[in-house]
Amino acid sequence: MYYAGVDVGSRTIKVAVIDETGRQGIASGICDQGVRQAALAHNLFDQVLTRAKISRQDILRIVATGYGRNAVEWADTTVTEITCQAYGVRQQVADVRTIIDIGGQDSKVIRLDERGIVYDFVMNDRCAAGTGRFLEIVAQRLEMGINDLGGIAETAVRPSIISSMCAVFAETEIVGLLANEESPADLAAGVQRAVAKRMVSMLGGRINGPVVFTGGVALIPGMSRALSDALDRTIVIADTPQTTAALGAAMIAGAATERAERSNRPVSAGAHYLEGIR
Amino acid sequence: MIEAPLQISLEAWDEAYESSGAFIGRETCYGGSLGRHVKDGNTRLKHLLFDNSFAALNLWNFLLTEEDRLYRARYEGKILVGTMKDLGTVPVIAYAFPDVVAFYPDGAWWIPCLMEADEELLSIADNLGVNDSFCPVRAMLGAFVSGEHFPVPDILVCSVGATCDDFSAIAQRVEGLGHPLLWWEIPHRREPGAREAAVALPGGTKACVDQVEAVMVELDRVICALSDKAGVKLTDSMLSESIVHANKVRACLMELRHVVFTAKTAPLPSLELLVAEMMGLHYCSDRREVLSVLSGLLETVKRRVDAGVGFQGPEAVKVFWVNPVADLRVMNMLEESGGRICGTEYLFTHALDLIPTDLPAREALARVALADPMAGSALDRAARICNDIEKFKAEAVIISRIPGASHCALEGEVIREVVAACKNVPVLEIDVPSMCDTFQETLQTRLGALVETVREQRKGR
Repeated sequence: MYYAGVDVGSRTIKVAVIDETGRQGIASGICDQGVRQAALAHNLFDQVLTRAKISRQDILRIVATGYGRNAVEWADTTVTEITCQAYGVRQQVADVRTIIDIGGQDSKVIRLDERGIVYDFVMNDRCAAGTGRFLEIVAQRLEMGINDLGGIAETAVRPSIISSMCAVFAETEIVGLLANEESPADLAAGVQRAVAKRMVSMLGGRINGPVVFTGGVALIPGMSRALSDALDRTIVIADTPQTTAALGAAMIAGAATERAERSNRPVSAGAHYLEGIR
Repeated sequence: MIEAPLQISLEAWDEAYESSGAFIGRETCYGGSLGRHVKDGNTRLKHLLFDNSFAALNLWNFLLTEEDRLYRARYEGKILVGTMKDLGTVPVIAYAFPDVVAFYPDGAWWIPCLMEADEELLSIADNLGVNDSFCPVRAMLGAFVSGEHFPVPDILVCSVGATCDDFSAIAQRVEGLGHPLLWWEIPHRREPGAREAAVALPGGTKACVDQVEAVMVELDRVICALSDKAGVKLTDSMLSESIVHANKVRACLMELRHVVFTAKTAPLPSLELLVAEMMGLHYCSDRREVLSVLSGLLETVKRRVDAGVGFQGPEAVKVFWVNPVADLRVMNMLEESGGRICGTEYLFTHALDLIPTDLPAREALARVALADPMAGSALDRAARICNDIEKFKAEAVIISRIPGASHCALEGEVIREVVAACKNVPVLEIDVPSMCDTFQETLQTRLGALVETVREQRKGR
């Protein structure tokens, strides 16, 4: 039997399936978000199961997470992405103490104690500053793909200073800097630094290591280095940064089932994974 | 009547009201179904969940009929005092006079929420250059211009100094519109110096004697102005009597809070408790009736506690809430997320503390005014919050920020740091404007994550 996690994020949907040990990932998948997010999530889920050569009946339990988690009506329960990220990242870096998660339209700092349990978090989800969307806007303005930002940033001579933290104003600022003939490389590096500085502010000087960088933005070349420079400490990128929350959701599904079995109780839909009972 | 404590919708309340005969003989002059307030424009009620007790219905009806009481008072020839910003002090003085009714025009800050921005108050403020970069209390400006929502007071009294910058700016615009204000100054409360005589203030803070004396002088000006308006000289015994009555309301609220915060299962939702606490400030324009309303609520809560019944199981996460919310719906979201209220600090704790009765009345009031959390440092607030977290065993803290409110931009961060360092509980900061519908999902995520964090911590113990 298997457990699944579905992360319905703002820009992409992710699915992860793990085996009955609750630890081994056997399949995952990612697709772009759209208007019909419930259908998109369902299609992706089916595709992942097909690729893994397993059927829906083989899935013992499903946990949905992400901002669109409530749209996944076929999930057994929902858990916030804060908790799921912690589970997923901890699976990959056992002694993680700080998680920096930069997604498409939000960014988070999650702090874990020495036992690996979340004890505090900060979220930015009402403003595009310091998110993947911010980088996308800049990449569009520089007429390049978001994944090209990092490569070109590495050739920067003197990274531009982006003073505005608002994505809209920053775009205006970039227009002005381009008019002043600043190079796209300097601008790209400047923007990466600005995003990193935003995260430093969210961390508020309280950083315990190891620090793990996750979320889709962790895949953009150069972002990890920009963060590392801004924080003046080593940053570890999660093994699968886009799917750590989905992985964590699947692990939570497994943990809830295990707890219920131990207590010899059926796992009902909506049973709370943390209490194991309802 | 529904017996088990529940949070029910407006529709369910109205159905229960219509089908039950339990209200016959218990109704007050302001009683009736909740749904009638929607017809008056309070459409937000349709999206709220309410406590299903008669006492809670009475609380809401009392709150939502304040405007009627104010117009009736005007009709009866009573003096209307519009008291602004001081949060709890001037009403004690005003109600010491016969035939004087005090109310807070600031209370208009909830109108955009209750009426779901259908009215024009904020647009009027916008047109006067007071846009959404200001605190939602700018709705008061619109209310003065429109002449709706409350009668124009006979006298306006506003505290200034160690108060909110936004509020002072908005109040100045009110004055500029032709409504003269009596300004009285409240200084920033500071720690007494080594050579200064110190006095204890309600709530555990201190101030130097000079500051107390300065506030007494200011309150004397207020007393003189009200005496002139009322045509009655205020005696010490009149003021003392008013203090005794204020203390009855405060004692009732203190007990209500204590019972709610310490109950094994939550006996009252956070929303009704917020409304009740607010009534301690201004009595909802009827000092006598408010005590009856709050006493009724307290009785209901005690009955529930004695019966061991509540809204949630004992596993609900105990949350301490800092600052009032502009959108009342957010309080419902606390319970929906699996949390329960277990401590509050809505920036007017000084209006909940008993006014000293072993001091001359004017001095006692001056001390209470100086105990205002807004008049002191954020560290003072944080210290009191930490004490209450300990007292009520709160497991998490939510600091709700009011967009535009400027009395201390970094206050939330200061409180967060102190609480995190001293109490080792997670602290969540959220922005709550007058209408949160468009980002309800993100708020639910934050509240849900806070509840999950506490449950994870419990599991790890």
